[in-house]
Amino acid sequence: MKKIITLFFLLLLTGCQDQVFSKDLFYMNTYINIKIYHHDQELVNKTFSDIEQIYQEYDQLCDRYKKHENNLYYLNNELEKNQEIEIDKRLYDLLKVSKDYYLKTNKFFSIALGNVTDVWTNNKELPSYEELKASGSTDLDDIMLKENYIFSKNSDVSLDLGGIAKGYVNNIIKEYLHDKGIKKYLITSGTSSILIGEHYQNEKYRVGLINPLESEKIYKVLKLNTNSISTSGTIDNYYEFSGEKYSHIINPFTLYPDNYSLSVTVIAPDPILTEVLSTTLVLLPIEEGKKLAEKYDVEVIWFTKDGIIETEGIKNYE
Amino acid sequence: MNKNDWILIIIIIFISFSLLLFFKLTNQESNQALVYNDNKLILTIDLTKDDKYQVMGLNGEVDIEVKNNQIRVTSETSNYHLCSKQGYISKSWETIVCLPNKIIIRVTSLDQNYDVILR
Repeated sequence: MKKIITLFFLLLLTGCQDQVFSKDLFYMNTYINIKIYHHDQELVNKTFSDIEQIYQEYDQLCDRYKKHENNLYYLNNELEKNQEIEIDKRLYDLLKVSKDYYLKTNKFFSIALGNVTDVWTNNKELPSYEELKASGSTDLDDIMLKENYIFSKNSDVSLDLGGIAKGYVNNIIKEYLHDKGIKKYLITSGTSSILIGEHYQNEKYRVGLINPLESEKIYKVLKLNTNSISTSGTIDNYYEFSGEKYSHIINPFTLYPDNYSLSVTVIAPDPILTEVLSTTLVLLPIEEGKKLAEKYDVEVIWFTKDGIIETEGIKNYE
Repeated sequence: MNKNDWILIIIIIFISFSLLLFFKLTNQESNQALVYNDNKLILTIDLTKDDKYQVMGLNGEVDIEVKNNQIRVTSETSNYHLCSKQGYISKSWETIVCLPNKIIIRVTSLDQNYDVILR
């Protein structure tokens, strides 16, 4: 008996060792890395393939440039017909959430800027306001959503889910991981947003924020767990005209990238909220932004154009 | 317990610890860059050795150079040459994305100070 007990405890030493599993994906024009810390390799492999499927599904659904069955490209074309269109339930839900955020952010977060974004992307010279205005409707108020149907009062509006799709998918993945009981993970989407569970080894994750003026330097370190963090800014994503850089975040009222901050980082459990608010807060003066941050109970770090760092409620993470 | 039991126990302890050590060692990331083509890992590059590499992207060849622990794309077949314009990368999590070629290069050196860096 003694022998068996000793053997049992020794076997415990060899088994049940948590390991790091890592998977790289490329969807939604974004490089995605998933790290999961777990002892069950089979479960992790299944999880990886399920997560990839979710990304793939929404990658096709939110594609503005290529036709897939009932996807956004198809929808943007159908809107031109000026009639009610029944759409995929998944796309409907995503559009509904997007429109809700449009109203919640006083119309600063808009998914109706597709026409303008195309001008900013394709123009050889800095576009004028008239040129931008002439590119087509940018009014999300024209879009009506009701019981899986969509109707547009304006036939030339072009929807673009680039500002919310990643956050939306991360929210689905967060719930998926929760259901599977996987607690220790780190999902990095591009260089600007992460979804974290518990740390595999240490008490907390250490997240470094890069100084937008000196991209070699880190200006702030956050120590935290189980959250979503999104940074919006101008370092990696910009339009360039005659040597001058213009941020990719367009103000829906002026159609120009009128930014108050160079970089804004938002922390909250909800990945949709962090994705949407980080984009919105770049466009708002700090005081106005702080009101929005308080309303939605998120934590924020602003790096303004003058290099001033402002924060809202991040004390627990420093 | 007799002598054989003790031998068995010692052997098992030895196996346990060597397995533990094995997993610890294999988990350690080194100073390297991973190259992906359309989500598939196609090349692992040692950043401690200066060298030149060539991989096939969707549009054609992508030339890669390693120098002083840094990595960059020197030339690629695309309209805007965004990834060769990006220059060298060397820090953990830094990434070069050649979108038209579906080639991604990522540095994975283990930075002791941070788990992840956002910009």
